[in-house]
Amino acid sequence: MSRVLIIAYGNPLRCDDSVAWQAAEEIRRKVASAQAEIICVHQLTPELAEQVSRADSVIFLDASRNGEPGKVTCEPVSSRAADLHFWHNLTPGSLLALGAQLYGPAPRAFCVSLCGESFDHGETLSPAVIQGLPRLVARVDELVSQLANAGVLSSVPAV
Amino acid sequence: MAERRTIVIDPVTRIEGHSKITLHLDEQGRVEDARFHVTQFRGFEKFCEGRPFSEMPSLMARICGICPVSHLIASAKACDALLAVRIPPTADKLRRIFGLAQVVQSHALSLFHLSSPDLLLGMDADPAKSNLFGVLEKDPGLARDGIALRKFGQQIIERLGGKRIHPAWVVPGGVSDPLSQADRDAILQAIPEALAIAIRSIAWLKRTMEGFREEITSFGNFPSLFMGMVKGDGGLTFYDGKLRIVDASGRVLANSLDPALYFEYLGEKVEPWSYLKSAYYKAKGFPDGIYRVGPLARLNVSDVCGTQRADQELAEFHELQRTAVLSSFHYHQARLIEILYCVERLEQLLNDPEILSKHVRAIARPNALEGVGAAEAPRGTLFHHYKIDEQGLIRWANLIIATGQNNLAMNRSVLQVAQRYVQGDKLTHGMLNRVEAVIRAYDPCLSCSTHAVGQMALRVQLLGPDGSLLDEVARP
Repeated sequence: MSRVLIIAYGNPLRCDDSVAWQAAEEIRRKVASAQAEIICVHQLTPELAEQVSRADSVIFLDASRNGEPGKVTCEPVSSRAADLHFWHNLTPGSLLALGAQLYGPAPRAFCVSLCGESFDHGETLSPAVIQGLPRLVARVDELVSQLANAGVLSSVPAV
Repeated sequence: MAERRTIVIDPVTRIEGHSKITLHLDEQGRVEDARFHVTQFRGFEKFCEGRPFSEMPSLMARICGICPVSHLIASAKACDALLAVRIPPTADKLRRIFGLAQVVQSHALSLFHLSSPDLLLGMDADPAKSNLFGVLEKDPGLARDGIALRKFGQQIIERLGGKRIHPAWVVPGGVSDPLSQADRDAILQAIPEALAIAIRSIAWLKRTMEGFREEITSFGNFPSLFMGMVKGDGGLTFYDGKLRIVDASGRVLANSLDPALYFEYLGEKVEPWSYLKSAYYKAKGFPDGIYRVGPLARLNVSDVCGTQRADQELAEFHELQRTAVLSSFHYHQARLIEILYCVERLEQLLNDPEILSKHVRAIARPNALEGVGAAEAPRGTLFHHYKIDEQGLIRWANLIIATGQNNLAMNRSVLQVAQRYVQGDKLTHGMLNRVEAVIRAYDPCLSCSTHAVGQMALRVQLLGPDGSLLDEVARP
């Protein structure tokens, strides 16, 4: 079975930015720990590079700012060394590139995002994000199942 | 007649927080003045008023995402003073472990993540390469070491405090939970690698410094006082001790000063052009009371480190100059020696027979209406001073942060570097990068010192006396 790493990131004290952390809690209940390892962080830092490089595949779980609030998107992430300008706040692509440079080939990766509406101070989600949260969890659950079975990796669709 | 002009570097890059530098040129285009402006404001001292004192450690930890542990420790020590308790010996040792881990991760961030592009690629490197990618290309081993060392410190914080950022494990009266044997063993297992990296990195930096002789002579290389806490035997400490001040010759000017009476020795001046206050030693007045804190100062005031390998390095460090070590460029080496000390000291503390004791917190009600907590944060001496009412609510708070104490020295350093390297009629990235690099040597934490986040792109403007834009250089 392929090893999947899920990195949920965002600020749990900035309203919709916490959606990845909340989704991670739901996913923990649904997905067997043998299938996927789940970690929650405020931002992507270089210290995650080694862990990323050890995984067979990585799912970045995030709140996005652009688009229709509540909409879920899933996109493949490619290694992007060009983004490596700042050390302790990396993009998914730059984290993959860092891991590849230092520890080995970059794993296959996807970014699953839910578009937020409010990023103000607070711990509550906006109505659109509350409605979108089950769709986000379902999308990740589906992706984990596909990724965990290495035989169907090539069929994982980008949405 | 030639015009007077001003060069503005806004924001300063690869530091923690928001600032800008202005260089004021005379009619001949020579730098006649320089100012380091802190342009962010947070105001923690004010909005904690009215909160229960027991909340202070957790609230104060929010000042900074890089050194929350230092604020937790200083705040909890101030609260211990309000409770008038002596915390259990194991809690004392666990707090020390927590603080040492913080120093390792913070120093690793400063040296490897923020300053290594300058040190590895040179001050005149292409700005497009002066970043993580450039370091990776030139020396992937160094990048791996930096990441591993920071991870080592962060993982200790996470094991003890439950999370890497803003842990709330240090509480008034001690710590909230004891150390488990599994966590102790896991940390001890990681010590040999951390030690090897620290030793390797010191050797690398010593070799690298050979290429920076000119910078060493002009990067904040001037007489000043140095302040830090020392143990009773004059040894390096991060958790507690008495304040010692040495002058530029290395002579001890003041010794065994009680940190709780800091207000008797230290003054703070407000300048209209910065949110960062300027601290000075009162006995010498302003601005002659200029002093430096942090790794360079701590090694200048300490007679010994107290661990084998760090003591060897400290002895060699003291040989750099017959006087106190004056150049702020040497903050980098001091930082690595402190990392080495921290790793060695962590091993000692983790092998202490009492370290797994379950008695880690003293419980009491407030027994004093005023308390001061002081500790050595990665960037220098940190003071938290609280006054409470009979209900235990905060009525007044004052924080004196390391970066504020280095403010006068940072300004003087910027002026020295600018006068050496900046020619007003011709702007180059190398010149301006050196101006920024001297600030990076101090590793200022502006979130802490103004008690923000933002864009880290660099824009330098050359302005005429009427404010018109004469020249501009933008960095991606």
